[in-house]
Amino acid sequence: MKKLVLMTVVLLIGIVSNPLYAQKEGNKVVCFKSNMDCSHCEKTLSEYLKFEKGVKNLKVDHVSNTIRVEYKDGKNTDEALAKAVEKKGYKAEKISTEAYDKIVAHVKEAGHEHEHEQHKERE
Amino acid sequence: MKQYLLFILMILPGLSFSDEIKGKVYAKEGSDTQPLPGVNIYWEGSTKGTTSAADGSFSISQKNEQHMLVFSFVGFEKKVVHVHEMAALEVVLEPNLEIEEVKVVKKNRGTYLSTINPIQVENISGAELHKAACCNLAESFETNPSVDMSYSDAITGARQIKLLGLDGTYSLMQIENMPNLRGLATTFGLTYIPGPWMESIQVSKGAASVVNGYDAIAGQINAELKKPDSDEKLFLNLFGNIDGRLEFNGNGNIKVKGDTLTTGIFVHGHDLSKRNDHNHDGFLDEPMSKMFQVGNRWKYNNQKGYMAQAYLNILTEERLGGQKDVEWNMEPSISNPYGVNIKNDRIDAFFKSGYTFNRGKSAVAWLSNFSRHETESFYGLTHYDADETRFYANAVLTQDLDEYALHVLNAGASFVYDDFNEAIYDQNIKRTEKVPGLFAEYTFKPNPNLTLMAGLRTDFHNLFGTFVTPRMHFRYHFAEHFTVRTSAGKGYRTANVLSENVYLLSGSRPLQWTEDALQEEAWNYGFAFIQNYTLLGRELTLNAEFFRTNFDTQLIVDRETSADFVKLMPLNGTSFANSLQFDLRWQPIERLDMLLAYRINNIKQTIGGNLVDKPLSNDYKGLINLNYTTRLKKWMFDYTAQFNGGGRIPTYPGEANTGALTFDPYIVMNAQVTKYFRYWSVYLGSENLTDFTQHHPIQGADDPFGPNFDATKVWGPVMGRKIYLGLRFNLNYE
Repeated sequence: MKKLVLMTVVLLIGIVSNPLYAQKEGNKVVCFKSNMDCSHCEKTLSEYLKFEKGVKNLKVDHVSNTIRVEYKDGKNTDEALAKAVEKKGYKAEKISTEAYDKIVAHVKEAGHEHEHEQHKERE
Repeated sequence: MKQYLLFILMILPGLSFSDEIKGKVYAKEGSDTQPLPGVNIYWEGSTKGTTSAADGSFSISQKNEQHMLVFSFVGFEKKVVHVHEMAALEVVLEPNLEIEEVKVVKKNRGTYLSTINPIQVENISGAELHKAACCNLAESFETNPSVDMSYSDAITGARQIKLLGLDGTYSLMQIENMPNLRGLATTFGLTYIPGPWMESIQVSKGAASVVNGYDAIAGQINAELKKPDSDEKLFLNLFGNIDGRLEFNGNGNIKVKGDTLTTGIFVHGHDLSKRNDHNHDGFLDEPMSKMFQVGNRWKYNNQKGYMAQAYLNILTEERLGGQKDVEWNMEPSISNPYGVNIKNDRIDAFFKSGYTFNRGKSAVAWLSNFSRHETESFYGLTHYDADETRFYANAVLTQDLDEYALHVLNAGASFVYDDFNEAIYDQNIKRTEKVPGLFAEYTFKPNPNLTLMAGLRTDFHNLFGTFVTPRMHFRYHFAEHFTVRTSAGKGYRTANVLSENVYLLSGSRPLQWTEDALQEEAWNYGFAFIQNYTLLGRELTLNAEFFRTNFDTQLIVDRETSADFVKLMPLNGTSFANSLQFDLRWQPIERLDMLLAYRINNIKQTIGGNLVDKPLSNDYKGLINLNYTTRLKKWMFDYTAQFNGGGRIPTYPGEANTGALTFDPYIVMNAQVTKYFRYWSVYLGSENLTDFTQHHPIQGADDPFGPNFDATKVWGPVMGRKIYLGLRFNLNYE
């Protein structure tokens, strides 16, 4: 019985501590720089992209204006995903994961990277 | 003095270069606010920013040229504040309703317990309404710990809800904050609001605000319908279950003039033509039925403080239950099978408008609704025909009494008109209620942690005279993790003796009553203690609450003292209800919502001179509700288990073949899986997964016109396992 409890606890901790954005094997990651600028656009784009073929994980962020898509290799391509972003009316400038990490880290530290002129928000 | 001035002038430039702006960000929740952590705060046009802390506080340095401070947070309207002085900022963000619910990838809690409202309120959101088959309002409470649902009888399919263990009639039912579904709609009204038409439901326990009327005794249940200015363009829903129930729901919004003038169209139809008799007692387990209704809603919002909404709904419904071979259009007679046939036609309309002025410090609101309901029915050989015309209006003025809204006054006047005509046993009963009323409610909120609300209303009833309704609410968030609430208040309601108990006609004994309308009167006292913690990075809410209702006058349904009649009599003695509930909400693992609840009911009434447990009531209820979504919310899994306590079965002296006098605890489980696609979602589920039913809910089923027949001794599920499949289509404005 004790063993069972211990195992359950270990299992639960395993699930809990599973890092959210760990990349799984056989998955590919593509990152884009975009121009959403508003949280409403973030939602729209996020809801749209998550149903693209093979998408396993997704981070769309209007603050840093970045998109990170993890998808099953072979099910989709970087180009097709970029097209999907553009179809919704946003820029999709492919960047390396290093560049992505850098922007996200920078925004986290410095606050906002905002290109004010491009605001799309409905007032 | 001059030196002093010089000193100030010297340090001023220095200050203005490195000013530290401090403040707090709040989220608006209903009419109240709550600290909001994680808000992005930055100077317009700059890249420098910060986020608010767990208690909503922030500080940001200000440079000379910077004065427009931007606040943005997912799910809230962005706000830009002009900073021109050093005083601490208090910023309130308004929820951006358009992106609530489905659109948010982040897990959206289906139900939550508000800690800022002085009244104990559980909110059931659209996300929660997706967790169960949820064909209509009656079925929306399957996953709710506070509301119980049961069948009134084993023939008509009428559903009853109970709040605090008390019958649904003691809760004020509202649609869009206006009383509805009462009088003739009491028995079947809960099935009149299709699930897909609803945006959310609020369940308030204990005394409610006097602004809404004197009726709420046990609490108040408000259903909000979908708004025409939401970004839903088109919503379609198809539903079918293995017992042959088919249902269609659809609604669409049209932006007639941008966001200023919008309209929504609602359609609902359902049909059940299959004859199901799973327990082989010769009776249909549920009646065959068909319903059709359409609604049209308009909203005008000039975006400058004036808003008006109008709604019209037409409903027609017919059901036929009883023995398996009953026929539509059959004449009730001993030579025909036993049948129960009920036809309902109803028109509902509302108009409400509101105007905010004086920089948001004053607001006037007008709420009114109208309904006309016609019923034609027979239960075995007894006919019951009735019609009701009802009008309600309420005018409310809300006034902040000071600059910071520490003191707020709500005051106004209301009017209820209710005209009833009933025909039963060759008697014609006519009654008209006219009730003008005045009310005032004062709210004192010296800081975000404390709210005191005291209300008083006087109503001038044409039949029951003038009466006064006092009510009081108090909330205190006295330490980081703890909130307490207390409430006390009086409530009154008019018991429409026949229309509310018409389901009792599904038995051999005729009804006997002294008055066709009775004013019920009760006091309700409540206490709640809520704890909020963060455990493994996720919010944990623990709630303990106790409510007591004491009846001064009450309509008692006495089916135990007479072999010849079911008596509907005024209470002679004491009657009370105690409800003690504990619940826990937490996410034990990422994206798995868990709700555990346990409630003890103690409901006693004086029947025939003895204080006894209210018959057919469960003495406890336990609930487990689990909801899991995959990372991108493409799949959703739901599981609910209800643990229902035992209770007492009513019998009269000398009754033959009564069987057991008590019933045992039982468990009912529901489960559902939902798969989301970009525009579609498909759900497959089962009600009553373990197929538990009350074995023979109809007593004397072999001789329905005989003296021993009784289909109203229902304590458990009448219908067994029901597997269903549904489809939703959803298209939004972008």
